[in-house]
Amino acid sequence: MISQTALHITNRIIAAFLGGYAFTWGLSALAITTMVTLGIDFHEAETGMTLVAFLVFLALFLWTFAAASMLRVWLVLAGGAAVMMLIATMLQNSLVS
Amino acid sequence: MFNSFRMSMGWVHTWLGLVLGFVLMICFFFGALSVFDREIDRWAIPDTRFEPQPMPSFDEVLKPVFDELKPHPTDMAATQQRVIGDLPDPDTMPLKSLYAYTTHRDPVLRIGGEFGIPNEPKDPADDHLHVHGWATVNPTTGETLSDSALKIGSDWFYPMHFNLHLRWNMLGYWIVGVAALVLLAALVTGVIIHRKLFREFFTFRPWKHVLRSSLDLHNVTGVVALPFHFFFAFTALVIFATNIYLPLSHTTLKPLHEQHEKLEAERTGLPHEESGEAAPLASVDAMVAEAKRRWAERDMPGEVGYLFMDHIGDENSYVSIYRAGSDRVALVGEGIHFKASTGEVIREEPPRSVVASIDEFLTGLHLQHFEHWMLRWLYVFGGLLGAICIATGFILFVEKRKARHAKAGSQGSRIVDAMAVTTVTGMVIAAVSMLVANRILPADLAGKGQWEQTVFWWAWGLAFLHAAWRSSPVAKARVNPAWREQSWVLAALSLLAVVMNWVTTGDHLIKTLFTDTYWAVAGVDLSLIATALIAMLVARKLGAKATETVKPKRGKSAQHNKQVNAYD
Amino acid sequence: MIEAGWLIAAVVSTMLSMGWFALCYQSHWKQVFPGHAGGPNTFLLKLLGRGFLLLSAVCCLAADHPSMAALVWIMLLAVAAMTVAMLLSRRPQWLRLICPSFFADKG
Repeated sequence: MISQTALHITNRIIAAFLGGYAFTWGLSALAITTMVTLGIDFHEAETGMTLVAFLVFLALFLWTFAAASMLRVWLVLAGGAAVMMLIATMLQNSLVS
Repeated sequence: MFNSFRMSMGWVHTWLGLVLGFVLMICFFFGALSVFDREIDRWAIPDTRFEPQPMPSFDEVLKPVFDELKPHPTDMAATQQRVIGDLPDPDTMPLKSLYAYTTHRDPVLRIGGEFGIPNEPKDPADDHLHVHGWATVNPTTGETLSDSALKIGSDWFYPMHFNLHLRWNMLGYWIVGVAALVLLAALVTGVIIHRKLFREFFTFRPWKHVLRSSLDLHNVTGVVALPFHFFFAFTALVIFATNIYLPLSHTTLKPLHEQHEKLEAERTGLPHEESGEAAPLASVDAMVAEAKRRWAERDMPGEVGYLFMDHIGDENSYVSIYRAGSDRVALVGEGIHFKASTGEVIREEPPRSVVASIDEFLTGLHLQHFEHWMLRWLYVFGGLLGAICIATGFILFVEKRKARHAKAGSQGSRIVDAMAVTTVTGMVIAAVSMLVANRILPADLAGKGQWEQTVFWWAWGLAFLHAAWRSSPVAKARVNPAWREQSWVLAALSLLAVVMNWVTTGDHLIKTLFTDTYWAVAGVDLSLIATALIAMLVARKLGAKATETVKPKRGKSAQHNKQVNAYD
Repeated sequence: MIEAGWLIAAVVSTMLSMGWFALCYQSHWKQVFPGHAGGPNTFLLKLLGRGFLLLSAVCCLAADHPSMAALVWIMLLAVAAMTVAMLLSRRPQWLRLICPSFFADKG
């Protein structure tokens, strides 16, 4: 039988690595497309975002372990990632077409 | 365990630090060796023990070499897996692009190119498929050097620190990436849980209980080199970000990226595709002279570090010439691009934006193409401090728990201790064994590089088995004798490597230091001797400790335990 | 060759600076002067420490391109701090060399 604690820890670890990664990915996609929409060069936006992305990831990573409610963590990480990906995709479609 | 902020940060530090710490040991140690990868190459390949050479004349030396370049059999096999139908005869494949790369520390030149193939890819997204070829050239003669001589520094130790030689699905890169993120987290959490960051800034008390003294050393090495640790982990992620860790432009944002590439090609005048019309090649030496003249005009005179040519033989062909990094941290290539058929300048890269400058500084800080020997040694020092920090972290973990585990009959600290031995002394033994094998195996042995790799893995594997076999005292709250035994083995191997270098090449230290100075080889020999001395010192210390009958002072150590156990 | 001179000066001044910073702590002061009754004159030591820290940065800047100098300086600080920590644990009396008696607080 898997103990309650083991499940809880596994949940935190998955949220920290995968949830944090998904959020960082979505944020980067959104930020780059937004910057390109605003007229900034693609590579410029991409480079700028890589400099910020891992610091954001690090902050999210630590927050996941410190947060009181795992429900809130998942809502922010997964929900945020999905919403940002959606907007980024729409922005990209309007830019490419 | 996640009830308070400090407790949860302590949990992250202890447990993620432990699990990824084994990977981080590899990154720090082989990263430190990578600072002198070219010098280790010279030690391992005695034929190349001559002075670094600038980029040779393309028209006279390199052109004939590229005419002889063939697709590499390894890449032929790899590409065959990805295309429909059989690949054509490698001798008939046309060279489509080429590069030549050197640094201020390289006596030899790396060249390579892409060969065009008519086959369709199995995966339609797999566009721009080519077969690659590569070689190492002696720039003074234009001779191609034997491929079976493994560049132990730059092709084994160096990749080890960023991909662990686990190429399958880029697994090694991802493990190292996770480790880098965890290192960043461990640094932040370490600062949070460290109660006396400033008060104990200079504190190391080796005479105290092993738990206290290793915590001191863990703190001191972590804190004094904090900026180094942080920036190396951070830049490691940034360097691989766009290609591996966050490849947005190849996935989610591919359409946007492709649109940008086409616009970019129009703007820069560097053609993205071939025109289909054949054209001859003008003098590349003249283009190099022009590039050097323009760099000097910008007050950045320098040698060519990287030469690239695309769409070879086509009207759209162009030559890009980049400056070798040497006098500054940022990887500023100051690229100048020429039309291959006429030699006229198509484009001179404009001054960089702020973002690009920061990025180039951060990348350059990690990749260190600069010419600054003191800073190189300081980096080695930083890398070794990182390794000490993690190794003492392992010792802390074991020391804190082994008494408790012994009482409970748990094997936990025994396993961690065996792994710690494997990644501390075992890892160094593996590296030095490889150097010994390199000097003992005959130079003309077929597949010598393969044998060296086999020795490396076997030495490491045996070190692990030995550590595990000898680890039973840990389960009884005592010290694993493998630490001491492997230190002796390491000392012996390091000295053997130095002696074998003398015997097989005649390059002993008196020669490489005084009569016919060659720092690359002397430096490796001296570092091996230093390793041997440190290993002997450690082994003797551990031996002395083992014979002592230690009675831990009950009251005091219980208090230490209380203090440092607060987080698990 | 002149660069080497500046770099050596930078090494020396980071070492001095870190040594003086360490002596500001009562615990380290006691290690260096075990029988001494008074404590360190922290005002003077901190002043010297900061002054030489600044001086070492200037030496680094004189030797190299600013971007390189920044890296050299940060790494030298780590080396110096580590050296002082090791001296304090093995040969604390050596630090008396950089600390004449008038650095003590007369109290």
